[in-house]
Amino acid sequence: MLTGTLLCFISIFSVAQEIVFPELDGFKKNTDKYPVYSPENLWDFINGAADGYLALGFMDLHVAEYKKGKAVIKAEIYHHSSHTMAFGIYAAERSPSYRFVNLGAQGYVTGGVINFFKGPYYVKIRTYSEKPKILQSEESLARMITSMLTGEEVMPPVLSEFPAEGRKVNEETFINESVLGHQFLNKAFKASFVTGSDNFSIYLFDYKTPQEAFRSAEEYLASAKIEANQSDAGKYIFTDGYNGTIFLSWKDKKMVVITGLAKDQADIADKYTSAILE
Amino acid sequence: MKRITRRGFLKTGIAGAGMMAIPPAMASVALSVQEQNVVYRTLGKTGIKVPVISFGVMRSDNPGLCKAAHEKGIKLFDTANGYMNGNNELMLGNLFRGIKRDSFFLATKVKPERASDGSPNDQTSAQKFLEMFNTSLSRLQMDYVDILYVHDVSNPELITYKPLINAVLNIKKEGKAKFIGFSTHKNEPAMINAAADSDIWDVILTQYNYRQAYVAEMNTAIKKAGAAGIGIVAMKTLAGGGFLDRERTKPMNTTAAIKWVLSNPDVSTVIPGMTSFDQLDLNAKILTDISLTDKEKQDLIAASSEPGLLCSGCQQCLAECPFNLPVPDFMRAYMYAYGYSMPSMAQDLLGELGIKENPCSQCETCKVRCSRNFDLKEKITDISRLVNIPDDFLA
Repeated sequence: MLTGTLLCFISIFSVAQEIVFPELDGFKKNTDKYPVYSPENLWDFINGAADGYLALGFMDLHVAEYKKGKAVIKAEIYHHSSHTMAFGIYAAERSPSYRFVNLGAQGYVTGGVINFFKGPYYVKIRTYSEKPKILQSEESLARMITSMLTGEEVMPPVLSEFPAEGRKVNEETFINESVLGHQFLNKAFKASFVTGSDNFSIYLFDYKTPQEAFRSAEEYLASAKIEANQSDAGKYIFTDGYNGTIFLSWKDKKMVVITGLAKDQADIADKYTSAILE
Repeated sequence: MKRITRRGFLKTGIAGAGMMAIPPAMASVALSVQEQNVVYRTLGKTGIKVPVISFGVMRSDNPGLCKAAHEKGIKLFDTANGYMNGNNELMLGNLFRGIKRDSFFLATKVKPERASDGSPNDQTSAQKFLEMFNTSLSRLQMDYVDILYVHDVSNPELITYKPLINAVLNIKKEGKAKFIGFSTHKNEPAMINAAADSDIWDVILTQYNYRQAYVAEMNTAIKKAGAAGIGIVAMKTLAGGGFLDRERTKPMNTTAAIKWVLSNPDVSTVIPGMTSFDQLDLNAKILTDISLTDKEKQDLIAASSEPGLLCSGCQQCLAECPFNLPVPDFMRAYMYAYGYSMPSMAQDLLGELGIKENPCSQCETCKVRCSRNFDLKEKITDISRLVNIPDDFLA
């Protein structure tokens, strides 16, 4: 049993990229101040915010500080279990009002903060200094870290399946667990839309098999005491006591849930659902 | 494959529309009945009465969950300036904009920079703290918060640092925070004792659970704070998660864990993080019944004997090993490997200790007693195998 435990442990961790923070010209680098954080002790570093990271496959965190005089730049590299998970935590902390920059798959700059994600990594760099030279150094550091990390430099392909019409740019997210507060709904991409004065959200679940999609739809319908009468595809409107009117549809291995529209707006729901599933 | 048509969607929709999961009207009746029986406690000298269950809002993807919690009788919602880079506060601001302000309490936290030992340093700026707090108010769309915590305090020097104290007192004086406090989850007894000796702090948000190694010190400190009129709010009541083991195969009785915390009368409320309606329903039951059942007591006793991963460092083992093994160092290596996911670091430590083979192989049984009930022979045997694994195979 012990051998099994250890072998499993080695095979899992040998795939991780070794993190060696780059040197930054004129700054003294310090990586000894912080341990490498794991799921067990992430709380020690970011307190209650850790829950959100853990829900998105957090694996480890490397931290470095760069100091020049009184100026400090702090760099944090969060390693998640996949590109999708890294997007999930990046997107959860993103605001559409930020200035987006070409870093990794996507990044932004706001008030001394540079955040971006690439592959399974979410990178957060921060300084409280407002001096232009320090801010330039911070940006250089961000570019060096981007180059150092391996992984995809694209947004998750599933996002392109959301219709462009009315879609709010840079508000897409990924929710790994308990979508809409239901433990039986997991792993959904969410996009927000506006049409006229109506705001609504679309949750897109991309399962591995049609059977999984049906099981999920069946379970959601069952919670509303509705029996799904066909397995290959279906469309239902029902009221979820917690989330209001739900437009639920599935076809093949995809399931779509729309919230925020009233029952008499089925035509809008239908239009968007069809655009995704057809 | 049947094609989905607009017609089909609408037709099915009409049939489904009449069948609702929980009709809202019925839900309201049920909730008002529950509210009559909610257990309230007074939060120290603040005088405000809070239900024993509050909501630690960690995620911002489901405002419906917070709304449902409020409807179930939960009043105090706890967030922080840094949660989800501010999106958490934004979500709560949008949610509570349409809800009567006196029907809930809102607590947020602002984390000042500090040295690695938690003491103030040249990066600790009262001005920056104020700016961050004002940003929080703006995101929350509120004129005031009920409680403002200095976030994550572990060194008494930080809560006696004049510039910071003056800043929070000024915020309170201006009415932007009704009450002030700090959160702590390291060195908590010392922090609570220090606060009890001053008359500045109204509320302390502290880690507190039945698996804390220093629970006796916590009980003494909390009692002292209670006597000083400081309201105690408990967090991390599940001891870091809902499972007792690394493999997440042994689920914890979370209701029992929360009730254990509330069995201390000086704890006013707890703030479990909730991400699903099932968790909310489970915790909402505690709102009206905080008494521990016999089964829950038994579950706590059983869970207390689960060792976890952390060595307490008591060093009781050192004198008992016939080969004078540095057992705490082996446990540290085990923690590096399995806790921090750093086998190479564990291997380095074993190298420093001069370990070349399993040092426990000469003993048939281990007579060393561990205060955490670790199976020392098994752990040392397991981790010692790392010394024979080539570097290339380790991260």
